[in-house]
Amino acid sequence: MSKLQKLMTILYIVIFSLSSAFAEEVNVYTSRHYDSDDALYSEFTKETGIKVNIISGNGSALIERLKVEGKNSPADIYFTVDAGNLWKVQKDGYFKSINSESIKSVVPKNLRGPNDEWVAIAKRARVIYYNPNTVTANEVNNLSYEDLARPEWKERIAIRSSSNMYNQSLVASLISNHGIQTTESWAKDFVKNFARNPQGSDRAQIVAVANGEADIAIANSYYIGIMLSGGSGDDQLQAAKKVKMHFPNQGNRGVHINISGAGVLKNSPNSENAIKFIEFLLSKKVQQYMVNISFEYPVIDGIDPHPSIANFGTDFKEDRTSVADYGKYNPDAIRLMDRAGWK
Amino acid sequence: MLKPSIPSFWAVLPFLILFLFLLPVLIVLFSLFSGYSENWAHLYNYVLVDYISNTLYLIIGVSLTSLLIGTISAWIVTNYDFFGKRFLEWALILPLATPPYILAYTFTGFFDAYGTANNIIREIFSLDQSFILFPNIRNIYGAIVVFSFTLYPYIYLVSRAAFLNQSRSILEAGRMLGLNQYEIFYKLSLPIIRPAVIGGLMLVIMETISDFGAVDHFAIQTFTTGVFRTWHGMYDLTTAMQLASILLIFVATFVWIEKTSRKKALYTSGSSTFKPAKKIKLIKMKAVIAFFICFIPILIGFILPITELTKWAINYNLTFFDEKFLQAAMNTILLAVAAGILCASIALIINFSIRFNKNRFSNFLSSFLSLGYAVPGLILAVGIVQLFALIDKNIFINTDIILTGSLIGLIFAYVIKSYALANSTFESGFQRISFHLDDSARTLNSSGWNLLSRVHFPLLKTSFLTSILLVTSEVVKELPATLILRPFNFDTLAVSTYIYAAEERMFQAAAPAIAIMLVGLIPIILLTKMISSSRPMDK
Repeated sequence: MSKLQKLMTILYIVIFSLSSAFAEEVNVYTSRHYDSDDALYSEFTKETGIKVNIISGNGSALIERLKVEGKNSPADIYFTVDAGNLWKVQKDGYFKSINSESIKSVVPKNLRGPNDEWVAIAKRARVIYYNPNTVTANEVNNLSYEDLARPEWKERIAIRSSSNMYNQSLVASLISNHGIQTTESWAKDFVKNFARNPQGSDRAQIVAVANGEADIAIANSYYIGIMLSGGSGDDQLQAAKKVKMHFPNQGNRGVHINISGAGVLKNSPNSENAIKFIEFLLSKKVQQYMVNISFEYPVIDGIDPHPSIANFGTDFKEDRTSVADYGKYNPDAIRLMDRAGWK
Repeated sequence: MLKPSIPSFWAVLPFLILFLFLLPVLIVLFSLFSGYSENWAHLYNYVLVDYISNTLYLIIGVSLTSLLIGTISAWIVTNYDFFGKRFLEWALILPLATPPYILAYTFTGFFDAYGTANNIIREIFSLDQSFILFPNIRNIYGAIVVFSFTLYPYIYLVSRAAFLNQSRSILEAGRMLGLNQYEIFYKLSLPIIRPAVIGGLMLVIMETISDFGAVDHFAIQTFTTGVFRTWHGMYDLTTAMQLASILLIFVATFVWIEKTSRKKALYTSGSSTFKPAKKIKLIKMKAVIAFFICFIPILIGFILPITELTKWAINYNLTFFDEKFLQAAMNTILLAVAAGILCASIALIINFSIRFNKNRFSNFLSSFLSLGYAVPGLILAVGIVQLFALIDKNIFINTDIILTGSLIGLIFAYVIKSYALANSTFESGFQRISFHLDDSARTLNSSGWNLLSRVHFPLLKTSFLTSILLVTSEVVKELPATLILRPFNFDTLAVSTYIYAAEERMFQAAAPAIAIMLVGLIPIILLTKMISSSRPMDK
């Protein structure tokens, strides 16, 4: 051992002994971290004595950090929004199977990795919002994503840019069901029906429908909850009151579902604690707490979403396409949208 | 006594520093030598033309607009005296505290169909809900406005310093030759401040190029949105890094052309004693116009976003401001100031050594390091993580991870990202010191450390403080990109803002975003005070 290495080892031991004051801990890399989560984490520590350590940041960037840290990574859990991110980690073999009967019994198969590498913690649906003044009940009846390529919707649809991961996942799910060719010709017609150049957030699409810039919009389900709660100001509350929600594809495979989810890493130093943490996130109490704050749908049965979301209906049909496919077909989805001229 | 070892120390030191800091940028550039995936054919066939043309439009638009705002406002506050001038002079720097993506979000909130602006108009003229006056601003013009009004302070700061340092004799000579005020501005003053202004403009361009948040919100397909689409969506980090490298080479060429064109003219001022120009007093209509020309940039770049954010924060809740917030604010300030001082010191030493040794190669390396500023933050962060992993593996062999996820790593990242800010300040600072001064100092046997600390540093105090100011406010804003490098549970203000903004829960992001702007204000106000008191001719 060289002198430098000895010195560095000593330095390391000093740093390490300073940092590991807690014997029991779980280290979470997350791209989904709300202020309200802190209350959750301290509740977990109170119940189990396990301290929760957090690093939050961009999902893809955290994956790069995981990769270069390799077997020395302190991370136990990767927690993120969008199934594509989970799939990326799974594909490169950085997750291990979660062996927990209690988790498997509450989370349906299509919301878990192929070998239980990860599980969904919360769900969101990508729904259609419409303006009841300009869209008749007949028109939305049984409306599907596929129908939106029809000429009668010409210049009536608001949707955001193809850079958005929710749109990429939606198109990936179409590829998974119909193949690339069919989806591409659908996308080409669909783009012709845009009321304006894709722009702004999901909420901006809902506002566009409310003020008549477009007749229908595609956006995630929880945004209307945020808007109706008044938390985003009176203007958005007024806009949200003017639109109605429609769950597409109820006549066939169901509305497109995306997830927030978590997996346990292969080199996790505290994998038992990690599983306990995921079980905790899937407990009734925590699920109820989470959906009330985020306006998402719960993953387990017997929990109601926030009332303002539940008002739009809870017994809709969900697309059972494996969310892992969204990740698998995501690169194809982007290339396809580029070819279709979806900006 | 002239010790022979000192010059060699000044020659070697910058190489060592520069090399270390260049590594992450080099890691990004090395992607050019790895394989090219089939995604390139796709990019070339469908989107590359859009990426290039949109990026160019953006650069041209932002350059022209921010040049106009920056130089004209600086000219007015340095040459005229009118009501509110003292306030405007420092308030014009305030938009530095506004990250472009925050202005983008508040801008759309403000001008939205149901936003504040349209509501006010409807209220005043009692019109119904369907009336919408303000046009859609989510397009490239909107983006140009957003970048120009948040970045013009870089040009304002250097132009103001340069105008202040212009000797009165030059302006008086102009007046004697019968030039009017406008002719003096563009025939005499502008050409003299050109190198300083171009330095500031380069910063504006680099930050515009590297930004992701604002252009993504406006859905403009630029090079940088392309980088992230390719990485996050096509899962192709190599192609993403190659795209970023092409952008870097483009910027590097630009920097190089600018430098060689500047070399033909020597821009050091004739003497180091200044006779401040006498200010012209404006009254009535002229004073009002001058006031508004200088006030509008502050209104759009600072007052509008902070008012809109405050409205959102009050609507949502203010529980964010608890003791955790204080801890996060402390962390943010400490990190930012540490990075600021380090960055300024490095830039000082390097620029001094370049001047002392007239070393072309370190000059080249120094401009090269400035390119860190043009690298999109997340890509740079990946380069740094990869470098640290390499060091951890080879030096700390039988232990785990030390550098990755340490505070040292975080500060290192900030220095690379914001070196350009400090470097450009010192470049123009050193240019203003006459070479005759060095020669005189040398005849008195002053060289090396002695020359730096006793002759140059006192003259460069303003540059030193300005560097710290720019880097600090940049670090406070730039935190999101480097978040992945931090240690566990190390909270900074940008954590919540970034996570919420990424999910477009902007109302929840409002309170932390205000905090970022306010915390960014502290160094701006303190340092502006110190800068103005360190400038002898202002007294």
